[in-house]
Amino acid sequence: MTHQLQDTPVSIDEARRVEQFLLREARLLDNECWDQWLLSLSEAIHYWMPGIENRRREDKSGPYRLEHMAFFDDGMRELKRRVARFKQPSAWAENPPTRNVHLVSNIEVYAGAEPGEYLAYSCFVNVRSRGLDEHAQLAGRREDVLRLEAEGLKLLKRKILIPNAMLLCKNINTFL
Amino acid sequence: MDNNKHIPLRTLESTPALGNLDRLCDMQEGRLSGKVFWDEAIYEQELEKIFARCWLFVAHESQLPRSGDYLTTSMGEDEVLVVRQKDASIKVFLNACPHRGNKVCFAEAGNARGFICNYHGWSFGADGGRLMGMHESKCYEESQFDKSRHGLREARVASYKGLVFATFASDAPTLEEYLGPMTWYMDVMLDMDEGGSEFLGGCIRSTIECNWKIAAENFVGDILHGGWTHDSAAKAMLGGPVANVGELPESYSVNWNGHGYEFATDVVGNAATLGEKDINKYLHVLRPKVAERLGEFRSKLIGAISSFTVFPNFSFLPGQNTVRIWQPRGPHKIELFTWVIVNKNAPQDIKDKWRRGAMMTFSPTGVFEMDDGENWEYCTKTSRGVVTRYQDLYVGLGMHTRLDDSELPGNVFKGQLNECNARAFYQRWKDLLQAPTWADVPDRNGTLR
Repeated sequence: MTHQLQDTPVSIDEARRVEQFLLREARLLDNECWDQWLLSLSEAIHYWMPGIENRRREDKSGPYRLEHMAFFDDGMRELKRRVARFKQPSAWAENPPTRNVHLVSNIEVYAGAEPGEYLAYSCFVNVRSRGLDEHAQLAGRREDVLRLEAEGLKLLKRKILIPNAMLLCKNINTFL
Repeated sequence: MDNNKHIPLRTLESTPALGNLDRLCDMQEGRLSGKVFWDEAIYEQELEKIFARCWLFVAHESQLPRSGDYLTTSMGEDEVLVVRQKDASIKVFLNACPHRGNKVCFAEAGNARGFICNYHGWSFGADGGRLMGMHESKCYEESQFDKSRHGLREARVASYKGLVFATFASDAPTLEEYLGPMTWYMDVMLDMDEGGSEFLGGCIRSTIECNWKIAAENFVGDILHGGWTHDSAAKAMLGGPVANVGELPESYSVNWNGHGYEFATDVVGNAATLGEKDINKYLHVLRPKVAERLGEFRSKLIGAISSFTVFPNFSFLPGQNTVRIWQPRGPHKIELFTWVIVNKNAPQDIKDKWRRGAMMTFSPTGVFEMDDGENWEYCTKTSRGVVTRYQDLYVGLGMHTRLDDSELPGNVFKGQLNECNARAFYQRWKDLLQAPTWADVPDRNGTLR
């Protein structure tokens, strides 16, 4: 995750507002409020979760790259398609539903690069359970850019990094 | 293999075939027991008689452009290093030190001049895998240790149009013989365009708690599940259900030595699921050139509704361009290695659209694949029940649909809604488990129903 030496602080009120945004988002996802969740995203969203590559420290290629394979590399069209599948009655593997908990913590809020934008770092733990005994847990870091738009605060960019170079479960049937 | 001066592999004696395989797998009748998905003893035999014997996919040449480029993967449960040599050839070594067996390379990919074991410092040249030296080498010299006999263990390697395969079995047939006429169909994916194909960067790895054969069988010839399992994804991506495969005018299932390909002739049926108009357009524009290159018939397959498995565990979907190995990890678990393949000469924006399209459809976050994983896990898990295993599963769809007068290569069957490829896959599986050596593996081509 990028380390910004010149992170510009924001007021406590602004920071609180961004924190509330992130916490509310987690609740919307846990409650399958997909449409409300989509409304919290900017039309210009880039939602990105690169695949993590297990490379040596000296390898200049680094642990992930924009042009390499990803779990998510989505704009609004892709996110809407994912939501459309969740909502189909024939999404067999979602009925009975997957039960989700999204925990969000380690939130830091700074001023963004443009006026009206915020840079937010956070960590998440997502626990999913299906059936009687299925349990999948993912933890990671996020780097978000939020923007004040006409209808309020929206998520403009999200970068999600998990520590796993191999996903230890069968899918990611949620958003992180 | 250059390093034949090495201490030879001392293979343990071949374990006798399990006595009940004919009862568990009867492909004349199209019957199979779920025990083959659950049993530890069967799995141990698979490692020995299938994964240590067959030609296994290890890399695409495009992943290793420069001398010293390497990647790590596995052949069955054997971890291996795939390394581009100074003479541009590719070598495959066991990723295990011949001293105490520790792994010598822990990264998934990179570039190196050599590999040094973390335990006692034995170091191996990336070029040739020779043992170069070690920590406290003087004491080895004093005991007249012969370094030349202790390099990294090398596999047989052969390529087909960019795909690199390897085997540790000295008695295995050549890769050409192993793939047989299936290469004619593989060309649709690998050689539709001048310049051939390449893998895009990165590999998505994930796990599914299923038996490896269920995944391989799904790609060898099960489009039947497409219209039902993937209804939700098709509606999400296309705004409507999957094309009614049973009503397509011309489709086939073909197989050879357990490899299988089921396909329609609808040009872009698979590609369309990506929901990227530019990809369909690219394929339609390319098609006349493909017809010149591969003939009119194969030009209709370049992105058609289709799937392919090279026995035992290498699969791909033309059109979606997703490529897989299903790595066996015990009878109840696989690791999926997922790549995207594209034409090397395709424009960059088309390559990017394929990278994202494959991610959106057939990957752990893909809207299609989510419903597959669930099915495969529970086909495996129900088999833990003893009574469930007594139930003979039905693999009989399409019996008596063989087209003996077809001019297409391989064993050709009418229609892609057909379990003939699954039967050929399981027959090959059983033949290998029952054969003490490669010479004993029967040739079933021409006789399968």
